[in-house]
Amino acid sequence: MIRYNAAHWDWLVYLEMFVAGVAAGAYATATLLELFGRGRSPLARVAQLIPFPLMVLAGLLLTVDLARPERFWHMILQSETLRPMLKPWSPMSVGSWLVLLFPVFAFVSFVDALIGRGVFALGGWNQRQTLHGTLTGLLWAVVGSLLALAVASYSGVLLSTTNFGGWSDSPFIGALYVATAAVTGLGAVLLIGALTRQADAEDVVGLLRVGTGLICWQALVLAVFLLTLGLNGWAVFLSGISLLALLGAIVIGIVIPLVVRLAGRSLQPGTTALFAVLVLVGGFLLRYAIVIAPQASARIPGAS
Amino acid sequence: MRLPNLLPPLYRPTPQQPGLEPRPPFPPLPATAPGLPSAPVVFQPGQPVGFFTDTTLCIGCKACEVACNQWNQLPAWHGGQNTLSGNSYDNTRQLDGTHWRHVKFIEQFDGDRRSTGRWLLMSDVCKHCVQAGCLEVCPTGAIIRTEFDTVVIQADACNGCRYCVTACPFDVIEINPVTNTAQKCTLCYDRLQVGLTPACAQACPTASIQFGPIQELRRRADQRVAELRAQNVPAYIYGDESMLGGLNAFFLLVDKPEVYGLPSNPRLPSRNQLPSWLWSGLSAVVVGLIGLLSFRKRRMDDLAAARPAGREQAPGPQPGPGKGVPQ
Repeated sequence: MIRYNAAHWDWLVYLEMFVAGVAAGAYATATLLELFGRGRSPLARVAQLIPFPLMVLAGLLLTVDLARPERFWHMILQSETLRPMLKPWSPMSVGSWLVLLFPVFAFVSFVDALIGRGVFALGGWNQRQTLHGTLTGLLWAVVGSLLALAVASYSGVLLSTTNFGGWSDSPFIGALYVATAAVTGLGAVLLIGALTRQADAEDVVGLLRVGTGLICWQALVLAVFLLTLGLNGWAVFLSGISLLALLGAIVIGIVIPLVVRLAGRSLQPGTTALFAVLVLVGGFLLRYAIVIAPQASARIPGAS
Repeated sequence: MRLPNLLPPLYRPTPQQPGLEPRPPFPPLPATAPGLPSAPVVFQPGQPVGFFTDTTLCIGCKACEVACNQWNQLPAWHGGQNTLSGNSYDNTRQLDGTHWRHVKFIEQFDGDRRSTGRWLLMSDVCKHCVQAGCLEVCPTGAIIRTEFDTVVIQADACNGCRYCVTACPFDVIEINPVTNTAQKCTLCYDRLQVGLTPACAQACPTASIQFGPIQELRRRADQRVAELRAQNVPAYIYGDESMLGGLNAFFLLVDKPEVYGLPSNPRLPSRNQLPSWLWSGLSAVVVGLIGLLSFRKRRMDDLAAARPAGREQAPGPQPGPGKGVPQ
């Protein structure tokens, strides 16, 4: 069936999906470093500064994308009764709550990281006594990471839970989004760590090893996604600008970073930054391809 | 004096060619059939009502479109531009936020456009599905089911997220550029509340669009199908109870659904939701395991590297104070 009505989920939407994915991945990376990093990992503290601002940006992008942005709160509260509005069977409703809750965790971690840097103090919450490294801090980070991964996946689940050819042809978009979010979040942490030179070398080595594994997982899920699309899905994704973006995502975000990792075993800040930039660009191209492809294939009104 | 024929070849009457019989017209509705504009329709709140659209009776006059636009005060222009489609006499083109009724013109002509051919005409509309995908996904609760079992978008609650646009299997919903909210046919909810017939059904001059209680409409539709089949017309009902629990706006068609631009097997968007969440969860577990195992490997490497150096008691740097995390 030819679709005439496009969803008009354009750059605001795929940018939001990318930004929220990076935020979620960065938070998960920070938690990983907090759990397994060297002592009070400075890179973990850098990583904790990333998610909150990005989630604020993601929330703004989502709000601006609404046709009636002033009614954004209708996602959370029923407009007439002001009771909570939650439909567990609607991925967008679940996602709205996730996008509201995850920044709470990201905000506390963000503030904790700032306090840890001595930017300011809140009573007993000061530079010498932060959440980082404590059991409470770890529990907070783990729960926050679970929410982060849910944030990463919900938009993919949302796309699959439609009747839009391409999106609804495979249930693997959410799984792919989780993998991409983890890779790009880790890339953002590595990049900022390299730029600020606050990364412990062994943490970087550990993250690069994680990154390699995540890229392989991303490649596997992407392959499964493409294989399960079927003829209709292939027609949607394997043509035009979407095909170019998909190829770009594979080459820039998967193949070259793996080559960089295999070729450049010696740890150079430039290599790490290059690795990080490549996976970020690849992740963005993948989001772009997935969001745009089905809409580009919908027939434009008025065209023959 | 005989004037030269200036019409392009397409419009010239062609002489009857052997073996090419013109298709017979569809039999008309008997004059006594219920559902004609003059026949009163009795319904009550709580009683499911809907449309039965008999496409064999549609003449493509678009009176339904006009009545709909007029009653619902929809703009006549197409997204700010009053353009022609350029590929059909149908310039409405599609159902969207400003076109809640759309008479489709389906041209079925042979390649030479001279021999056999027919027009299939169908007044399309929101199907008011019993299991409605739009209602299912709407995150604001703006889409409701009314006491008449119809599906209505409340414009004052909709925030224009457009999820319903992607969820509708029939491509019915779109953002209205005037209100900036998702809109579609309401089955004239305001008219139903005061006992009036929807504007389109009221205006239809051939009773192609029939309004009434669903049970009565289904009985009438079955009767019409039987009548047409007795005359070798391959009529069938699109939208019976097997389709999304039943379409409250259902159609009598004489060709495949795809010919009318309808999906042969419309499904709810939620069919993918559970598997999608499960695969996402699995992906999250794998991501966690990759992180865990990668750092675990580093830890093991540290231990292996420390042993030859004789550091039996303190393999690798110690975790920071307060960490207490098993590695």
